[in-house]
Amino acid sequence: MIALLAVGAVTLGTLGLGTWGVRFARTTSDLLVASRAVTPWWNAAAISGEYLSAASFLGIAGLEMQIGASALWQSLGFTAGYLALLLFVAAPLRRYGSYTIPDFAEARLHSPAIRLLAAAIVLVIGGFYLVPQLKGAGLALNVVIGSPYWVGVAVVAVIVAINVAIGGMRGITYVQAFQFWLKLFAIAVPMILLLIHFGGLPERSALFGEQYPHAGKAGLTVPIGSAQRVQFPQAGSFQVGDRVVRVTAGEKLTLPANVDARIPAGGVVPVAQGTQALRGSRWSRPIGGTGEGSPLLVYSLLVATFLGTMGLPHVLVRFYTNPDGHAARRTTVRVLGLLSLFYLFPALYGAMGRALTPQLYTTGQTDDVVLTLPHAAWPGAAGTILTAITCAGAFAAFLSTSSGLLVSLAGTLSHDVWPRVHHSVPSGVAARRRYFRVAAGGAMVIPSLIALVARQVDISILVGWAFAIAASTFCPLFLLGIWWTRLTARGAACGMVLGMLTATSAIFVGLALGEPTRGALALLQQPAIVSVPIAFATMVSVSLTDRHRITDADAQMLALHAPEGLGLRLADEDAEGALA
Amino acid sequence: MSTGRRRNLVPPALRSPREELAEATAHGQVYLRRLQRAQFGLSMLALVAFGAVFGVLPIALYLLPHFDRVELFGIPVSLWILVVPMLPIFLAIGWLYARRADALDESFRDLVER
Repeated sequence: MIALLAVGAVTLGTLGLGTWGVRFARTTSDLLVASRAVTPWWNAAAISGEYLSAASFLGIAGLEMQIGASALWQSLGFTAGYLALLLFVAAPLRRYGSYTIPDFAEARLHSPAIRLLAAAIVLVIGGFYLVPQLKGAGLALNVVIGSPYWVGVAVVAVIVAINVAIGGMRGITYVQAFQFWLKLFAIAVPMILLLIHFGGLPERSALFGEQYPHAGKAGLTVPIGSAQRVQFPQAGSFQVGDRVVRVTAGEKLTLPANVDARIPAGGVVPVAQGTQALRGSRWSRPIGGTGEGSPLLVYSLLVATFLGTMGLPHVLVRFYTNPDGHAARRTTVRVLGLLSLFYLFPALYGAMGRALTPQLYTTGQTDDVVLTLPHAAWPGAAGTILTAITCAGAFAAFLSTSSGLLVSLAGTLSHDVWPRVHHSVPSGVAARRRYFRVAAGGAMVIPSLIALVARQVDISILVGWAFAIAASTFCPLFLLGIWWTRLTARGAACGMVLGMLTATSAIFVGLALGEPTRGALALLQQPAIVSVPIAFATMVSVSLTDRHRITDADAQMLALHAPEGLGLRLADEDAEGALA
Repeated sequence: MSTGRRRNLVPPALRSPREELAEATAHGQVYLRRLQRAQFGLSMLALVAFGAVFGVLPIALYLLPHFDRVELFGIPVSLWILVVPMLPIFLAIGWLYARRADALDESFRDLVER
């Protein structure tokens, strides 16, 4: 009940600030890039707030609980991505003046076709990233009020679509900033209190020693919703419904729907089919402990996140709200600090969940751990309040990221795709605003449908794919486009297409094969370490052999690298005029 | 005679960098390319610093399982290393880089505005 109130408060706060923002959303450029008048601290909090999605809030802890400490490399990768942005992209791209990635592609390479290609890729990446947010919403609302999964997905989809349509981005900047601090509070405070309550991490033999996750001193009752196939790591006798079942080590069984499975005190919990039961010593190894934690996969994940952050559409757009390149750098440094601070905490939820909510292993829904841990670990009023806090934080996470993503997707659809497909440019601010709002509604439909069927795929896996695609397409476009004069439209197009194809085909083959983790096959799960070099190599080689050179490369470099305020480049106001 | 001609000639050395850049002469390109190369070099330096710490970390933790067994406050040191140092090191690299990059831009600005 309290959780519902907290969630309601967060949602109303979001809509309220969004409405307040309507006063400022007067022109299309307001809608798209918040008129570039936001200060570094607001912007850093907004960037961090928007960036911390369901993956960071729920996914890391959930994946860590499932596959072990190797999931924690994600935190490092997510943050490192901003360092890559700072070093290579933030200031030049801000100076250049393009509003969106497709804008940059066309202006830099003088090719309308590449604008359309970039727009298509934005839609794919944005879609891949939006789906896990909606999934997180479905899970969270299910935990809070017991609603069916699809209700949570639908509710958040509608709320976000409305919020974006009425507020555009200016309203959302303040929403995102508020939600960062809310998320930090929501993840830090319950965990700090839990640690104090338990005097550290409980059940350390299951965490770092030789034990499997097991029931506590009072035994454990696991309600089984739909029929679940499980495997019992150790022999023992368990109660399923009203029958007593004796199992041998390694035996597999299907637990029928709508029964309670009862695990005796100290009994090892069965794990869902398709997952692996790990002893503490293997679980806690940050690398090499499991198939998913192999050095190859870890490095591939680091490559994906380090290089892919700059290619996420909702990340880059917010840099254009800085007044100049210098401010863009200052903002990014603050983002590094804020994110690193946040990522101190998810690791603890996965660990404590392994100790205190091992029933999640049986259902396989470890992504629920941040939401269920406080109440399960600390029964009573304290646990209820703390659960309400984490649920509110989770809601803030997917509301903010979904909003940011939807703004980018709607902007891309209405600004880049529609004019090209229908050969007409909407004239006048009101018409453009209408197109944007229609696009906001439309762009939400397909990801919502996918989220409804993708319940079984881990949030973190889905997000990892978005990063892999971004790293294989827009990262080479930016790095080569900003720092290399010889990039051509054809080279960029070939590189992006090949990178995209490599990454997505690996992903789908991996899905079809059931996510193998043996040796090199594991790369199907996270193909970045293969697809990124392919994309770079293609871009470079095709550009070098392309006879159509970019004739104004020197002017392009001037626009990217000459510091502002010297009157050397097309002023920002002129670029804005091109859009209005 | 030669006086008239000399009055109309501006020796190349007296043209300002701003004029050179604005008119996209070869000289102007030299200034900008110098700045660009300096910025790129700085970014690569920061990248190497980052790689030396975090790029090496996975393989180091893999090859040195000793850190999995040593515990600090009951938690293996390898996990501490994975989670905690990120904060200060990212901030340090990022902040130092941003300061230096802004300084490079400033000196370019001074050059051009002379």
